[in-house]
Amino acid sequence: MREHENVDLELLLQSLVDYAIFMLDSGGHVLSWNSGAQRIKGYTAGQIIGRHFSVFYPADDVVSGKPGRGLEIAVAEGRFEDEGWRVREDGTRFWANVVITALRDGDGRLRGFGKVTRDLSERRNVERALDERGRLLAHLVRAQEAERRRIAWDVHDDTIQSMVAVGMRLQLLASTLPAEHADAVTRLNDTVNAAVGRLRNLAFYLHPPGLDSGGLVETLSGYLEQVASGAGLAYDLVPDLDEEPPPEAAITVFRICQEALTNVRKHARASSVRVRLASADHGVHVKVADDGVGFADPGDASARREHFGLIEMRERAEISGGWWQLHSRPGEGSTVEFWVPAVRPGLR
Amino acid sequence: MSGVPDRLTVLIGDDQPLIREALKEVLAAEPDLEVVAVAADAREAVRLAVGHEPAVAILDVRMPGGGAWAAGEIRRLSPATRVMAFSAYGDSHSVDEMRRVGVCEYLLKGLPNSDIVAAVRRTAARPR
Repeated sequence: MREHENVDLELLLQSLVDYAIFMLDSGGHVLSWNSGAQRIKGYTAGQIIGRHFSVFYPADDVVSGKPGRGLEIAVAEGRFEDEGWRVREDGTRFWANVVITALRDGDGRLRGFGKVTRDLSERRNVERALDERGRLLAHLVRAQEAERRRIAWDVHDDTIQSMVAVGMRLQLLASTLPAEHADAVTRLNDTVNAAVGRLRNLAFYLHPPGLDSGGLVETLSGYLEQVASGAGLAYDLVPDLDEEPPPEAAITVFRICQEALTNVRKHARASSVRVRLASADHGVHVKVADDGVGFADPGDASARREHFGLIEMRERAEISGGWWQLHSRPGEGSTVEFWVPAVRPGLR
Repeated sequence: MSGVPDRLTVLIGDDQPLIREALKEVLAAEPDLEVVAVAADAREAVRLAVGHEPAVAILDVRMPGGGAWAAGEIRRLSPATRVMAFSAYGDSHSVDEMRRVGVCEYLLKGLPNSDIVAAVRRTAARPR
């Protein structure tokens, strides 16, 4: 009878594909696995049994000790519940509801933990697209882009043109002056010209052509062409999108790529960069990978200070409801990987 | 056709007064070039081009009415006129837009005066 119950229980566990249900030993190593766990997390039982459950957590959470804290709370209070990002076998993330329960024998000794994980990604995605926060965010992204566009246009249509006219007149003036004065005026013209070049770069950075008219891939392609070839970088754009993301998502993806490419250009000493876009989990999954020098510990405070852009990239992704991470090792290049949701409000 | 016959006649179309004036002076300093008309928008540029039939029309790409529209109309209504774009924007979208309507030279604002003058002469020498 008892054995019969165990078989039934095992059948039940294996049929629950919407729930990852498995056991951990008292140290946090995976003891069992069900079909739901394989479906949600991507590991087969053979791949995961025996490994520590911290592999399911993003690197930052592991560094901050989050997995261990979950177990401690479960030990102290019997149960621990959490919602947050978890990492699949392929490195992508899903939004999880996790319940960890401490399992004790009849004498009260800790035997391990039961862990039940649900994938709430889709629900979270849709909720966020429809809720007030999602609308506010979309509004904010649009407002910020409109402001950048205005500034870029002003720089182009007023500041640059005025300075170009000044340069043209300085050259005319130099041609009418005796040599000793002409030199000074020519140098003045060179200064004006250099400033025009910098303003042009600023305007291009603020509002690359096509960002509000062309599609994401076209804009990114144009930007890569200009920036990568200007820096002597070989580049490769792999656009594997099922459809054009909504404007706010497209802008967020573009701006993060732009920041990642700025880092590659300024710090990586790379010879090539590859940008890969793919539709995944009702969003856009992006990898920007270079073959540069890489760096030791992206979480390291001094590295952070040198790479202000990292924080900005991460914030952009997270504010939009997505995730962002950096993989890098010295000598092995860097990869910026992120995902942002791309659900059109009102489409569900 | 106005102007001294052996000089290249030029029309300038740009909504920026500072650029119009500086460009006019740069070209006027060349003995073989003569600025015969100056327009501040696309419509005026087309009207003046039809009236003067200049050898070269130098058009801003983003002037009111659109540089591309003006270029197309000038090519249609004054077929002897060669059109050169003079723009603060060097992106491929702007360049392609002008090329499509038959603009044979695209010059970025900020290049040396000598390049501008050389481009005007090159544009005028294009086969009809």
